Amino acid sequence: MASQTQGIQQLLQAEKRAAEKVAEARKRKARRLKQAKEEAQLEIERYRVERERQFKEFEAKHLGTREGTAACIDAETNKKIEAMRHHVADNREQVIKRLLEIVCDIKPELHRNYRRNV
Amino acid sequence: MEYYERKEKQVELQKKIQQSNMLNAARLRVLKAREDHVASLLEEAKRRLGDIVKDDNRYKKLLEVLMSQALLQILEANVIVRCRQADVPLVEDVLPACVQTVKEKTGKDVNIKIDPDNYLSPTAGGGVELLAQKGRIKISNTLETRLDMIARQMVPEIRTSLFGQNTNRRFTD
Repeated sequence: MASQTQGIQQLLQAEKRAAEKVAEARKRKARRLKQAKEEAQLEIERYRVERERQFKEFEAKHLGTREGTAACIDAETNKKIEAMRHHVADNREQVIKRLLEIVCDIKPELHRNYRRNV
Repeated sequence: MEYYERKEKQVELQKKIQQSNMLNAARLRVLKAREDHVASLLEEAKRRLGDIVKDDNRYKKLLEVLMSQALLQILEANVIVRCRQADVPLVEDVLPACVQTVKEKTGKDVNIKIDPDNYLSPTAGGGVELLAQKGRIKISNTLETRLDMIARQMVPEIRTSLFGQNTNRRFTD
């Protein structure tokens, strides 16, 4: 009888130890999972910050080029206006003379449908 | 992640809109400058009308022709003439010749009177205004009205001689 209880006790002990090992394994798995999740989260955060920085850089660059193009367009316009002014100053006299010539060149004419004998 | 892509696209779009707006504003500036040039040119032409008027002989001939033209247009038997107060003697001188011209061309007589109550403003360029039928028919043949009419018709020509031929125009008939 004593040997039986001993065997059973050994079995029980072995069972207990096995159960402990399983529990231990499970706990370790859960811990590893959590650790992995945290690391992943950190990485996401890092990536987001990186994207944000890139985006801000992009925005700044765009706004910068806008100022450049504005200055460019203004310079072009001013050049055009200057050139126009020169051209106008050259031809102004001529145009005014021609206008006044036409104003004074008057030909009194009768309407072409006029009938002399009423 | 897509959030940032969207924002980037928005920024691009805004930049394009801004560029297009700036380009438009620049074009408008150029156009406005053109308009201003043409307007100032017409103003000066109007001022120079006053110089023409100072030469009496030339002005007299002008008056005669203006009157004849207006008379041939109005084709009425009784006409009232309005002119500047300073021009009244000149107009009286010129009247008979005008009546003669009208008689030659139409075979009709005209009865012309100078309006003693209303005169044209002395600052205006010279010229005459004819009225008939108790003022119901009016022909304004002053140098200023002529200049306005001519300017309106000649604007395309003025534009090409001031600003050069339009490079974007393909047909000119």
